Amino acid sequence: MTDRFPGYDVLSKRASPSWNDKTREVVDRRLATPPDQHRFFNEDEWRTLKALCDRIIPQRSEGLPAPLAAMIDEKVFDQKTDGYRDARLPPLGEAWRRGLAALEAEAQAGHARAFYDLSAGEQDALLRAAQKGLGGHDAWGDMPAKLFFEKRAVHDIVAAYYAHPNAWSEIGFGGPAAPRGYVRMDADRRDPWEASEARPGREKQARRENLRVGRY
Amino acid sequence: MRRQPLRELADDLAEGVTLAPPRKPTLLSFPSRNRRIEVANAAGRQLNLSAAILALSVLADSGVEHYRGSFRNRTMYAPLGVAALTLGGSLFGVFDRRPERHAARDGVYALAALTGLIGLGFHAYNVSKRPGRLSWHNLFYGAPIGAPFALVLSGLLGRGAEKVRDNAAGEAKVLGFPAGRLLAAVSSLGLFGTIGEAGLLHYRGAFQNPAMLLPVSLPPVAAALVGAQAIKPSSSRFAGAWLTLTAALGFAGVCFHMLGVHRGNGGWRNWRQNVLNGPPIPAPPSFTGLALAGLAALSLMAEEKDD
Repeated sequence: MTDRFPGYDVLSKRASPSWNDKTREVVDRRLATPPDQHRFFNEDEWRTLKALCDRIIPQRSEGLPAPLAAMIDEKVFDQKTDGYRDARLPPLGEAWRRGLAALEAEAQAGHARAFYDLSAGEQDALLRAAQKGLGGHDAWGDMPAKLFFEKRAVHDIVAAYYAHPNAWSEIGFGGPAAPRGYVRMDADRRDPWEASEARPGREKQARRENLRVGRY
Repeated sequence: MRRQPLRELADDLAEGVTLAPPRKPTLLSFPSRNRRIEVANAAGRQLNLSAAILALSVLADSGVEHYRGSFRNRTMYAPLGVAALTLGGSLFGVFDRRPERHAARDGVYALAALTGLIGLGFHAYNVSKRPGRLSWHNLFYGAPIGAPFALVLSGLLGRGAEKVRDNAAGEAKVLGFPAGRLLAAVSSLGLFGTIGEAGLLHYRGAFQNPAMLLPVSLPPVAAALVGAQAIKPSSSRFAGAWLTLTAALGFAGVCFHMLGVHRGNGGWRNWRQNVLNGPPIPAPPSFTGLALAGLAALSLMAEEKDD
């Protein structure tokens, strides 16, 4: 994938007037999540979860990846629920536990190996079956596999990814607009503390502007 | 001993203002031609000062606002250059004690008026090209229609200043009208325009601070009084007092607007957003410039009536 915001690092705004103490505190806490910390899931569930996260959002090998599995574990452990849920799904923690166990059971039934030991292609095939509601293992219980895939797995993993500053830098997002928001609101206008997009032909200019974002 | 130039200036300007109340000519106090030349010089320099204040307001305001607009259109640099030139020329006029007009100043003022007129065209085009065209929303958030008008006024008042300096008080004529009366009319119309601009933007701000009502309540009285003087000259003491109040309001407005920037999220530390998004700090002195011009016009009219 080409770098659309070359040289842009949202964390360079950390000391600028864009962020205040509260913003820094929240973002610091998010960055401090240890990638291997799991207090809710047991070892087997943890490995399945990590393999699942890698398939939903494969991350580039270079740079620091967002610790998605640890962020999910933290969310479930701290009971940071969304405030809404499809009533056909069990509560947050139980849905995750049962869904991971069912994926593991499907892997054992189909390949006689653990889900996390399967190849990426084999994992994808199982996940596609779940997405289409074709996974028929008893381990799913009364929880529809399709719902778990769409409203739990994809929902939580994607939300975790885009809650991480690394993802913000990737998509040119400025992070929290507190206390400083934006001034130039019209289409295709840019405040100097915003990421600059490298449209074809202006890659160098974009990099130069992105390296200066933290100075404003 | 040499007097300080600034001190001299203050004395001269004070003289210009205090001469404003008309005196009935008697045999003993009948103004000599020399005195009339002095009055014209003081009034002319005060008009140069009015033009300077307006030019400074335009320079700072268009500087901030056009920076916000990222100088998207190259012509957005024009008011900065012209206003800076006008400011320089006007200050030269203020400190220049020679009575005569100066060709360079006259030329710069003409350029300012022309640039302001072109700016009006650009701003009207900017508003009209936005989706919804001429709507409240576009008047609120598009290029301010009234802003380039301040540069036109700076040019007009400056032209007036040069004309006034060139003659003894009561003798200068512009377009066949006595200069004092015409300048009083310009001051009145300029004030009404500025009131309209402040009214529009303070209405946009929902008059959230009661002080936002001041520029739509005090200056209209001054504008009406000085306008009435232009139509039918009479005792100008009352108009002078309101104009003085309006001039002071221009300074108070700067302070209120700085307070407004402070109130924005992040306060002055977040000036890069709040100075651009908050109330325009350089805008209110337009009232001061126009009110000073009105006072100068009144002092000239006092002599015109003596004819």
